[in-house]
Parts: sequence; C-alpha cells; structure tokens
Amino acid sequence: MASTSLSNARKKINWLPWLLVASIILIVVGRIIYLGTVSERFNAAFFTRAFIESLKLGSLYALIALGYTLVYGIIRLINFAHGEVFMVGAFMTYFFFTFTPYPWFIAALYAAAIAYGSMRILEFFRGKMTDPVVLAGGGLIFIGLTVLISSLTFPFWLALVCSMLFTAVLGVIIDRVAYFPLRTAPRNSLLITAIAVSFLLQNLGLLVFTNRQTPFRPDTPLTTPVRFTLGEGEVFSNWLLLAIPVITAILVVVLTLFVNRTRLGKAMRASAQDAETAQMMGVSVNRVISTTFLLGSMLAAAGGAMWGLNFGSLNQPAILGILPGIKAFAAAVIGGIGSLPGAVIGAIIIGFLENFTTAIFPKTANFQGVTEFKDTFAFILLIIVLLVRPSGIVGEDLSEKV
Amino acid sequence: MAVTSSRLDQNPQVVERTKTLAFQQNRGRNTLLTLGTGLLVIVFLWFVIGLDSTKLTQALALFAIWGVATVSLNLINGTLGILSLGHHGFMLIGGYTTALLILPSQARDRILTSGRSAMNETTVGLSIENFFNALGLSALTTDETLWLRFLIAILIGGLLAAVAGFVVGVPSLRLSGDYLAIVTFGFGEIIRLSASTRIFAPVTNGALGFAGVPSEFGKSLWWTFGFLAFTIFVISKLKYSSYGRAMESIREDEIASEAMGINLANNKILGFVISAFFAGIAGGLWVSWLGNARLDNFLFTLTFFFLVAISAGGTGSITGVLLGTGLVIFVRQYGDALEETYAIHQWLEFIGIVLLVAGAAYLLYRSFNRTGKRLPDWAVWLFTASIVVLLLGSPIFPGVSLGKFGLYLVLLPLLILPFLPNVGDKTKGIGWVIFALLSAGLLALIVGGLSPNFGWFAETFRGFGMRRIALAILLIVIMVFRPEGMVGAKEFSWSWVFRERPDEPTDEERKQDAWLTNPELNREGGAANAEGLSETEGN
Repeated sequence: MASTSLSNARKKINWLPWLLVASIILIVVGRIIYLGTVSERFNAAFFTRAFIESLKLGSLYALIALGYTLVYGIIRLINFAHGEVFMVGAFMTYFFFTFTPYPWFIAALYAAAIAYGSMRILEFFRGKMTDPVVLAGGGLIFIGLTVLISSLTFPFWLALVCSMLFTAVLGVIIDRVAYFPLRTAPRNSLLITAIAVSFLLQNLGLLVFTNRQTPFRPDTPLTTPVRFTLGEGEVFSNWLLLAIPVITAILVVVLTLFVNRTRLGKAMRASAQDAETAQMMGVSVNRVISTTFLLGSMLAAAGGAMWGLNFGSLNQPAILGILPGIKAFAAAVIGGIGSLPGAVIGAIIIGFLENFTTAIFPKTANFQGVTEFKDTFAFILLIIVLLVRPSGIVGEDLSEKV
Repeated sequence: MAVTSSRLDQNPQVVERTKTLAFQQNRGRNTLLTLGTGLLVIVFLWFVIGLDSTKLTQALALFAIWGVATVSLNLINGTLGILSLGHHGFMLIGGYTTALLILPSQARDRILTSGRSAMNETTVGLSIENFFNALGLSALTTDETLWLRFLIAILIGGLLAAVAGFVVGVPSLRLSGDYLAIVTFGFGEIIRLSASTRIFAPVTNGALGFAGVPSEFGKSLWWTFGFLAFTIFVISKLKYSSYGRAMESIREDEIASEAMGINLANNKILGFVISAFFAGIAGGLWVSWLGNARLDNFLFTLTFFFLVAISAGGTGSITGVLLGTGLVIFVRQYGDALEETYAIHQWLEFIGIVLLVAGAAYLLYRSFNRTGKRLPDWAVWLFTASIVVLLLGSPIFPGVSLGKFGLYLVLLPLLILPFLPNVGDKTKGIGWVIFALLSAGLLALIVGGLSPNFGWFAETFRGFGMRRIALAILLIVIMVFRPEGMVGAKEFSWSWVFRERPDEPTDEERKQDAWLTNPELNREGGAANAEGLSETEGN
C-alpha cells in the first residue's frame, strides 16, 4: 500500500498477522517455561537438543523446497517428481559409498552420466557445450571417474558430490522427456505427467535399488558423537548438528549468489518474471529451465544424502520421497512460492512445527502427545496458508486479475 | 413460390430439420437400444458366471468396482475440470464404514479378544445387526438378509464419504489448479494418516484393520455391475442436465460462467459431494472384494490408477473412462507374467521388442503428423500385423512360441519394409531418435534371441513392480502424445452408431445452400437452376 503524500496520513499496518505471530511465540515460550518447572527432564539441554534437531530437519526440507520453488517460479509446475529425485540422490550416495569399486563397464556408465552433468555445469561458464574447455573437462572427468569408481571405495564426501552430479543429469532428463513436450499444454496435463513421473521413479527405484529399508552408515567423521553440558543436562549429538545446517547454508548462499550475480541467474529471474519477454530479449528459456532442474536436483541429492546421515537409514524407495517431498512443497508454499528465501523460511517453520511441537507437547500422564499427528501438521498449515494468504510469507499478493 | 412464411416454426424445412437435432434424437429408438444392450450385458454376465472361472469373475468385478470410482472421479476431473487427487480418502471412509457396519459377529469377537486391537466394546458393537436388534427387527438379522444390511451399510458409507467430500470441496472455492490438487492430495493423506492415530483407532482398529468382511458382494458380478449401472445412470443424467452443463462451463472458463450467473460454489460442492458419495460406495465394494479393510489398500497408488484410467481412456467421457479402467484392470490382473523372474537374455529380448515397437510407433506417429504423403495403407497393415505376431511370440505369452529365431527372421523384414519407401526421403527420413530406438531394439533382440548363457547373461532378474512401471510409462506417453486420451471427450451414442450427423448439413441442404440454385440468393439464374433441381427431385 503506497502511502499518500499528505503529511498526516499514516501507513495502515496490518496488525493481525503480527498478533498471530506474537501469540504463537508467547504460547511456545510459556509452554517451555511451564514444562521446565514441571519436571526435571525438560531443562535447557533438552530444549537445545530439540531446537537443533528442528533446525536440522528444517535445513533438509529447505534443500528440497528450493528445488520446488525454483521450478515453480519459471514454469508454474509443481514438480511432484522432486521428492523422488531426492530419493534417487539418497540411494545413489548409498551405492557410491557402499558398492564401489564397481566393474569397469558399470563404472563407465556412471562416469558418462556424471561427466555429462559436469559438462553442463562447465557450460554455464563457457557458453556452449562444444567449447574446448567444456569438452576437455568432460573427457577428463569421464576417464578419471571411470578409473576412480572401478578402483577405490568412495569416501562419503566424494559419494555425495558424484551423486549430486548424477541426480542433476536425472533432473535434466526428466525435464527433457516429460515436461518439455508439454510446454504449451494445459496445466492439468502437466500435473498429471508430473505425478506419472513420480510414480515411475518410485517403482523404478523399487525395481532397481531395493525394496527394503536400507541402513545408511558411511564411514565419516561427521557421525562421531559429541556431547557437551549445558546447565544441568548434557546434550548428546554428533558433528552432524553443525554440518547439516552449515552445508545447507553454504548451498543456499551459493545458489542465491548464482541467481543474483551471474548472467544465467539473471536469465532465470527474467524467465520467472515473464518468459515470453525474456525469450524476445534473447534468453533461451528452455536452456534456463534445464539449468533450473539441474540445480534443484543437485540440492535435492545433497538433501537426500544428509537425510540418510541424519536418520541412519533409508526407507524403501516407494516411501522415502513422498512425505518429505510433499512437506517441502508445503514449506515452499508457506514461505512464498517462487522466492528463494521464502522456501528456506517455510522449511524452517515446517521443521520446527514437526519436531519442536512433539518436544513441547510430549506424552505425559494427562496428555496423549502429538507424535502421531506430526505428519499432518504440514498439510494443515498448508491448507490454512493457502486459504488465508496464498502468496505465503514472503511472496507478493497473488490475487487474480480479471 | 419457394418463399416460405417468416415464422420459423411454420417453415416446413425448418420443422423437418429440427427433428434431427441433437436434443430431439430418436429417443424411443435410443432407449430401446440401450435396454437391449443392457439385456445383452446381463446375458454376458450370466455366461461368465456359468464359466466359473475365478480369475475372470474377479477381474470383471474389480472392473465394475473401479469403474464406479473412476466414473465418479471423472465427474470432478473431467466434467468440472478440477484435478482432485484425494479419491482414495473418500474410498477409505466409505470402505471402513461399510466394513465396520457389516462385519460378522465372529470377526467382531476376534477383534475384542485380540490383545492388540484398539477398539473397545462400544465401537465393536457398531453394527447394523445390533441396530436392528435394538429396534426389535430381529428377523432382519439373519444370514438371508445379509444383502439388505450390506446395502444399508454401503449407503451409509457413501453418505459419510459425501460429508467428507463437502469438507474437501470447500477449499475448491478459493483455490484453483495446482494448489487445489495439492490440497486434495493433502486431505487424502490426512484421512489416511489420521485413521491410524489414537483418536480414530477405536473406530478403525488402527493399522490392523478389519478382517473377515463378507466378500460375496464384492465378488458378485450382479452387485458390482448393478452399482456400476446405477453410477453411470446417475452421473450421465447429471452430466446432460443443466447442472452438468454448468459444470462444463466452469471447466471451460470460470470467470465467464460466474458472469453468466452460474453459482460456482454450489456447482463445485455438488460435484465433490456426488463424486465422494460414489467413491464411498466404490470403497465399500472394494473392501468387500478384498475381504478385509486395511489402510494399505487405500494408498495414493489407487488414485494414480484411476488417473491412468481416466487419462488413457478419455477425460470427460464416461465411455472413455470405462475403456481406460478396462485397460488398467487388464494390466493389473493379467500382468503377472511381467513380474516373474526371467533370465537376463529374456529380458533383453523383451526390451528389444518394446524398443522396436516404440521406435516404429513413433515413426508412424510422425509420418501421420507431417504434411505430405502419408504412409500407404498396406504399410500400416503390415506394421500392425508384424507387431501382433511379435507380441504373440514374445516372453509375455510364454505358451505361444513359434520357433523364435525363425520368427525374428521373418518379422524383422516385415517391420522394416513399410518404411523402405521413405528411405532417403528428406522430409520423411528417420530421425536420430527413431534410429537410436530401432537400432537399440534390434541389437537387444538379436543378443537376447541368441540366448547366451554365460556370465552376466545367465543371471535372473525379477520384474518387481513392472506392471506399475508399464502403466506409469503409458501415462507419460499418453500425456505427451495424446493428452485427451483414446476417445477424447466423445461419448458413445446410438446416433454415432447409425452415422447420424445431426450437426452437419444433409445433401439436400447442401444443394439448397448453393447460391446457384437458391432463387432467393441468385435472382438471375436461380429460378432456372431451381427448376432443374425440382425436376430431378420429382423423378
């Protein structure tokens, strides 16, 4: 609302959302204090632990939500398949640190896909695929990775990087095969195709990966336990508590810098604003969309690997990606779909909603606890936000202009 | 004088013409034909029951049950144009209600005595038998009247699902498109997730569900097809009424419909409520078909199958939806051969055949879409025949083997011959995608056909979930190439069978429209030409 130029005119402040936020904070703080006085268990250490866990969960959701929000910003498509890309990333990481070394022809296949992914990334900087630097880089990476994959057991960080590149290629292929032919189709067709791709990936995962819950325990210093005392209690955790939010923050910062400072990022923002005009100005929108899928899938793969680290095991492929995917989408919408900081904010909110509420409303003598319902909180908040403020926390007003 | 009066309803030509308009078709004849087909279907069902084949009966019964669900989903997705992904939630509500109300007493006692069940005496006692006993109608609690209690249970299930449909339909007034799809999906998931929580577990028995639901109704062809006929009747009546037209106009353009005075809220909620009611009925029948009620049977996979059925068959058309349902049921019930364990070289053969067929089909599709010469008819027939023979000899039907190597020697030329006239032609040349598909398929087929039995080729691989993969790929292919499905929005109608084209001009009218013969338009020579016309007409 623009303020008028009259000197005694006041800007109208919408006090209702601030009141809601303040009351929520009051309730939470009050409950924490109440719990602290009730029993020994709920001391500062406990709440610190709960806070850290929620932050971790929120960061994981943020990585997935960024993929949703990037894609929606440009082609207005809810990429249902993103949860499955997350699943593929998690499993690829698992395969890379468990089953390496592979026989040479399988290693060659993996290396080919990863080399292609890195060629596309190099292309961001050099301009075209046939550039000698891009080709040389791709060839080097292909040969090097074939040798690596077929000869040594991967450490976790290398598995993570390779899985990110591999999943990036998967994202680009999904876009090219399923979404590109439907650029001009009605929205319902696109949604149904996204659902079909998601279903296909789930069942391909069941077929190719495994149909059981798999343990995810790589040999990495991140999982060494850490304990420190805080007040009266001790906080048990491992270095993961620092790693996940820090890695997420790094990735988010890199992404934001990319989107705000590079030419390709500017092309992405332009296509998100008005694809037609961007095309008229010389931006190759299809190339931009492929890049978006590439970046989003890389982040999702990182999220998948860290999800496995955090929980110590992966559900079977048909189950792993569904709930996190849909909750991350809810996070993106709550924060304001189409905006990067909005996705992160929404994801942190969902993480806290899911984890912190089960901490401050635990099962006591008089109360059953909300653990059973924690999966539904994200949906309920999503529905409320969509009905009350569809543009989300950060987004602009999305009322339909007739 | 050829000049007629200015009143249209006294113009004999106009009166004659309106007799063949769409809304005044030969209704008597159409109704008789429909009743006749109904009788034929009844005879067919009788025949199938006489065949006494469990597999076929079960498949047909499931076709009818899922037909009810897809036809009701089509009301929202096709007629209203709202993508709704929460159908499994409505079926869950209807199915669990029916199961709870109709569960026989032995199963109830089992639940009470089992230590892990979450139900208590009150909720276990929620049965129609107890209700009738309380009313004093003990005569209706016998085994003979189980059908009556089942009918009541299913209707109550449908009503409860309709209430849920109302709740889910309310957000549709403020949301649209993608968000609404997510919200309906969310509702479906909320319903399923809450059904196992402590609040609802006394009623749903948590994750254990109910075992021992009487299955003679779900597997009976009369009950299922009866409900299918009822559903089709109600929904088609709705579709061709003013409500249905209002819904279709909402699908086409919401803002214009609102401007024309159509109450968006009423129509959308009506669509959701009716659709949910029939989904509840389908849920009750589904629970009876399965013989138990478990949360695992109401996953989102169910809605996905319905989506495949609707999209493959034809959104917006009841005929198309039933065709799609038939396809999905066929793959689900008869696709067991796909999920067996085969040796790698057999899988290679199968993949080779699939790639060849895909490449050739894509080539056909492209050639039909280009301006210029299409493939000649003999090429199309040859191609279709070779595909049929290939499929018969492939691993899918292991019983029919025709000396595989000789088969491939014969077939490969057949597959290639139709495209030979186009070799070298730049406008119809084979693109690199098709070339890759055909050559990869050929390679896989030859390698697999040689049946090497060493090393990696001798390992076996189980096709776990191949049916779903096939259906998912089918859906993607359909969305890319033909999003309107097999039949699009066209319905089966008797006038189509008799080739009545009420919206096209008849030959007489074509002649009359020609300015040459119409004296009113062609004053100079028109009368002379018209005389010539009436002369030939008189003879």
